[in-house]
Amino acid sequence: MVNPILLILIPLGTAFLISTVAGALKNSTKYIAFLALLANVWISISLLPKVLDHPVNVIIAGIKPPVGINLLVGPMGAIFSIIISVAGVLVLLYSFKYIEGESQSKYYTLFLLLITGAQGMILTGDVFNLFVFFEILAISSYILVGYSGDRNGFEAAVKYLILGSVGSVFILVAIALIYQETGTLNMADIAGKFALVASGKKMMILLFFITGMGVEAAIFPLNSWLPDAHSSAPSSISAVLSGFVIEVALVVIIKFVYTIFAMTEVLQYLSLVGVITLLVGEFAAFNQGNIKRVLAYSSIGQIGLILFAMSLNSEAGLSAGMMQIVNHTASKSILFLVAGYMIKRTGSYQFSDYKGIAKKMPVSSFLFVLGVLSLVGVPPFLGFFSKLNIIIAALSSGNVFNTVMVFLILLGTIIESVYFLKIIQIFYIGEPVKEGVKEAPFFAVLPIALFAVVILLGFLVLPEIKDYAGSAAAELFTKIQMAQVF
Amino acid sequence: MNSIITISTVLNTASMGLIILGLFIIFTQKNLIKMVIGLGLADTGVNILLVSTGYIEGNTAPIFSNTSLKISQMVDPVPQALVLTSIVIGFGVSALALALIIRLFEKTGTLDTSKIRGLKW
Repeated sequence: MVNPILLILIPLGTAFLISTVAGALKNSTKYIAFLALLANVWISISLLPKVLDHPVNVIIAGIKPPVGINLLVGPMGAIFSIIISVAGVLVLLYSFKYIEGESQSKYYTLFLLLITGAQGMILTGDVFNLFVFFEILAISSYILVGYSGDRNGFEAAVKYLILGSVGSVFILVAIALIYQETGTLNMADIAGKFALVASGKKMMILLFFITGMGVEAAIFPLNSWLPDAHSSAPSSISAVLSGFVIEVALVVIIKFVYTIFAMTEVLQYLSLVGVITLLVGEFAAFNQGNIKRVLAYSSIGQIGLILFAMSLNSEAGLSAGMMQIVNHTASKSILFLVAGYMIKRTGSYQFSDYKGIAKKMPVSSFLFVLGVLSLVGVPPFLGFFSKLNIIIAALSSGNVFNTVMVFLILLGTIIESVYFLKIIQIFYIGEPVKEGVKEAPFFAVLPIALFAVVILLGFLVLPEIKDYAGSAAAELFTKIQMAQVF
Repeated sequence: MNSIITISTVLNTASMGLIILGLFIIFTQKNLIKMVIGLGLADTGVNILLVSTGYIEGNTAPIFSNTSLKISQMVDPVPQALVLTSIVIGFGVSALALALIIRLFEKTGTLDTSKIRGLKW
């Protein structure tokens, strides 16, 4: 069996390798990074069939849990690993041409560290290890947000860093309190010992944790950094940050609520927060003129939708949420990556300057339309089925609260489709005003097209996707994998 | 210990005080350097909280230099290992924050967040 620890070790080791050989190899280090992530894709895919019948528990350094550190890979961890590695490798391919300039090896080092952090957060079975991987992810994303080296980039990076560090203070307080109550850091052990802890104390710890992780997951009152960071970062990084970084943080919150704390009574509030997040994001996106800010606010909206679906306290809701994550990763990556080259070619962030751009960049514009259709939820794209499943899951719970929430979600979707159609209209109607705009290079279009294949052909493998998402949901809902550690 | 003020109380009060003070500074000050100082205070507070979780009244540091010490006479070593990691991470984040602030200062010529108006704060 391929050891899942390689999913963390390969990008981490390659990041160090790249930074040491950067002087000799100049800008060809990107090919090493690409190979490392390809290996990651293969490992994560080969891992999935194994974890489906039995969760994999990897003991590190020969010391058994609860004392030693372990990795705990269930279906959800494996699916997320696939999402992270596939999105990572495609965005890296896009970066080949998109990232220009001298110190490219720094970009690829940080990119690999970001992948390391994301993989680690999903796979680890130890709360302090989770914090360390969270910091690896956060620190590399702070630097990558400011990578372009312009004023907005630095400003967004400083803002993101300060809010993110406040978040990590809260997470660390939660970990300290967990250790004080249970005397252990192993997730499965905590889950067992928490049964004896008073629920008031557990609630306080959980609130600290949700507040801390919620900063990274961009849950409503904590998301003021996101529009700046996601719109000022290089577009490839925006795609990664929107594509899986916020989702990773969100899924960690959900995992803690369901399995470790087993406090399903907070889910009702979380689903309300999710819908508020959705409406705030969609309404804010409606008034933006900067295309990347539109996409960033739309990410807030989508994260709200995913939070709502996953807080329904049912397996159907969790699996619909997983499907929506797959859809959001693919379609939002398409939109950010296309926007990257439109900004590069026209020199403008305002989408009102893109009049008739579809005549000059036909392939990119077409892919953008596909991404929008799936994000909004038009059949037969993947986004339609995931949104449909969310709504079915919400309505089947049969309570009035969820029905009202579904109406608000549909309202949000209408707003979303209005502002996206406005942008598409500008792309296709009118004569091009800018001179010298040409199609994005092949290396940039190829990964975008591969993302488009996921959302286009998603309905062909829909039963399989549903199956995998369902087993991930069952993992969280029934907590079986927690019992198999010792 | 018969006195009312135990070491645990002191540690808990100090950590909570430092965390609240640090967060207060971050959310009320407009100077970026002061915000980083606030971050440092909050980090220190959390580190003290972490150490205090492993403290056992009357026990000594978990170092095997004195062979006559028994394990039951030592404090819990796990939080101390955690604190080392957390201090290093805090140091890295502060250094990165200051480096980014220097570059931002070169671009804007100010440290006042209300005067940096490129984006909304």
